[in-house]
Amino acid sequence: MNTVLLTLVRNPKAAFGLGVVVVFIVLAIAAPLLTAYEPTARVGGPHQPPSWEHWLGTTRIGRDVWAQLVYGARSSLLIGFGTGFLIAALGVAVGITAGYLGGWVDEGLTFLTNVVLVIPNLPLLLVLAAFLGQAGPWAIALIIGLTSWAWGARVIRAQTLALRRREFIQAAELLGEPRWRVIAVELLPNLISIVGINFIGSVIYTVITQATLEFLGLGDPLAVSWGTMLYNAQTSSALIVGAWWEVFAPCAAVAVFGGALALINFAIDEIANPRLRTVPRAPRPWAGKPIDTKAGAEA
Amino acid sequence: MEFLIRRLAFYLVAFVAAACFNFALPRMMPGDPVDIMFAQADASLPPEAQAALRATFGFVDGPLPVQFLAYLKSVFTWDLGISVRFYPLPVADVLARAAGWTLFLVGSSTVIAFAIGSALGIAAAWWRGGLFDSVISPLSLVLQAIPAVVVSLVALFAFAVVLRWLPPGYAWAPALDPGWSLAWFGSVLTHAVLPLSTLVLVQIGGYLVTIRNTLINLLGEDYIMLGRAKGLSELRLMLAYGARNAILPLLSSFAITIGMVMGGSLITEIVFNYPGLGNTLYQGIIARDYPLIQGQLLIMTLCVLAANFVADLANYLLDPRLRTE
Repeated sequence: MNTVLLTLVRNPKAAFGLGVVVVFIVLAIAAPLLTAYEPTARVGGPHQPPSWEHWLGTTRIGRDVWAQLVYGARSSLLIGFGTGFLIAALGVAVGITAGYLGGWVDEGLTFLTNVVLVIPNLPLLLVLAAFLGQAGPWAIALIIGLTSWAWGARVIRAQTLALRRREFIQAAELLGEPRWRVIAVELLPNLISIVGINFIGSVIYTVITQATLEFLGLGDPLAVSWGTMLYNAQTSSALIVGAWWEVFAPCAAVAVFGGALALINFAIDEIANPRLRTVPRAPRPWAGKPIDTKAGAEA
Repeated sequence: MEFLIRRLAFYLVAFVAAACFNFALPRMMPGDPVDIMFAQADASLPPEAQAALRATFGFVDGPLPVQFLAYLKSVFTWDLGISVRFYPLPVADVLARAAGWTLFLVGSSTVIAFAIGSALGIAAAWWRGGLFDSVISPLSLVLQAIPAVVVSLVALFAFAVVLRWLPPGYAWAPALDPGWSLAWFGSVLTHAVLPLSTLVLVQIGGYLVTIRNTLINLLGEDYIMLGRAKGLSELRLMLAYGARNAILPLLSSFAITIGMVMGGSLITEIVFNYPGLGNTLYQGIIARDYPLIQGQLLIMTLCVLAANFVADLANYLLDPRLRTE
């Protein structure tokens, strides 16, 4: 695991992405230290532009936008990582089961996966959320998780099928290793980059989808998150009256956070697939001569 | 041929699955399903209309299988009930009127994004590791991680509110009568610029990165080296040898992303107050118009399935392996 992290940090794109994500996590945890205001308290006049007292201005009902942003990061990050984990775990479970067991189990699961994949997600989520009424953040997390695992399952099944007939798996089976051990010890480590990409992609997807559902007014309007900030800005026509800070703060947060995660994914893809590696590898301490970048690009 | 028939059968099952979901959901909610679904309607709908709505959603006397058959019958006769928000219009009519605008946005933005994205992706793969590639490829991936809500809000503010270059909403100038006049077409085009650009921007990164990564993998294959050894021109190698084979994975990624694009279009329409499915749905959500929301899921599933079938057809034409079974 340490070597995985080390390889990631050596890649400049991943290092930058990881750095941004860490900053967001710190903002979320340290929220009470970073602002003197409660996110839901009326602490200033309506729609005041950014100033020394209110770094990012205030909303129409006089809430501090910076306070909402850092407290909102808690909900958005927690839901994002939690649901991302759920989506990735479901994808791994379904994908490996289908790919490894084969036979009618595979037929059934693949069919289910394809059906879920082809039904458009957002309208499905909208129907669910509408019936639930004002869904709390965790209800939203659960329904996003249960409707979005199919893409990962499909990719992981394909990769499992490719690995299934390889010698080291067959050897482990012939040695009489129990099935769970073959899967956990032999198979899973070889899927780690795909699972990682799937997890991070799912976090991005969840943050986007949560913000979208809440923007549409299907979330809990009393919760503080980037999506409800967008919703409140939209319903108070903040853009039309020129209060751009109320809209741009959550927009920038979603965009920068998602972008940083996307950079990490790009880097994992580069590391896992050597043909995509278009940058020279980090110089090794024992190799005294400079790296030939031309050769690195052609490799 | 067998391939296409198998796909069609699969789409039929998928559509019925979406319908099952609509059937099951109100029945799984705590309390009386009829009350939940028509809580809004009770105030405004006359008793005959309510009875018709109940019949549409299979709330007839009888055990569940009988109810389910009644519901399936109304789905396949495209009787989706009466809209509560747009009473007395039937849901099917409300959606049919709006669907054209959404298909226009989704269709043209997909074609534009596909063309630009694959051209840039081919270039990035060909000169991989170069300046162009190392800027555009991470950038397009980052772009892909930015939701349509954010892109459309920023575009709305910049170009419609501050610069006032383009109209902030709706599909044509309200002063004009919709008709086949040049002024009306011009108005439709200028009103479409912002939502279309938003959707192109949201999609383009996915196509770019997919074709780039596929092509880079292909460029290491022996047949490319053989082509180079034969002395083929670089352009021919790039397009006829490399790109041609990289298009196929792009088609299957298109089939999968089309659902996401429909979702993106819903949001973009809401921000720009564009009279498509998204906006209709938004009004339906605010009014808790359940027949409309459920009808929306069916019609969008149908659109996505149709788009998938088009991708299948293209695949069938481009990939000879599918034709020789």
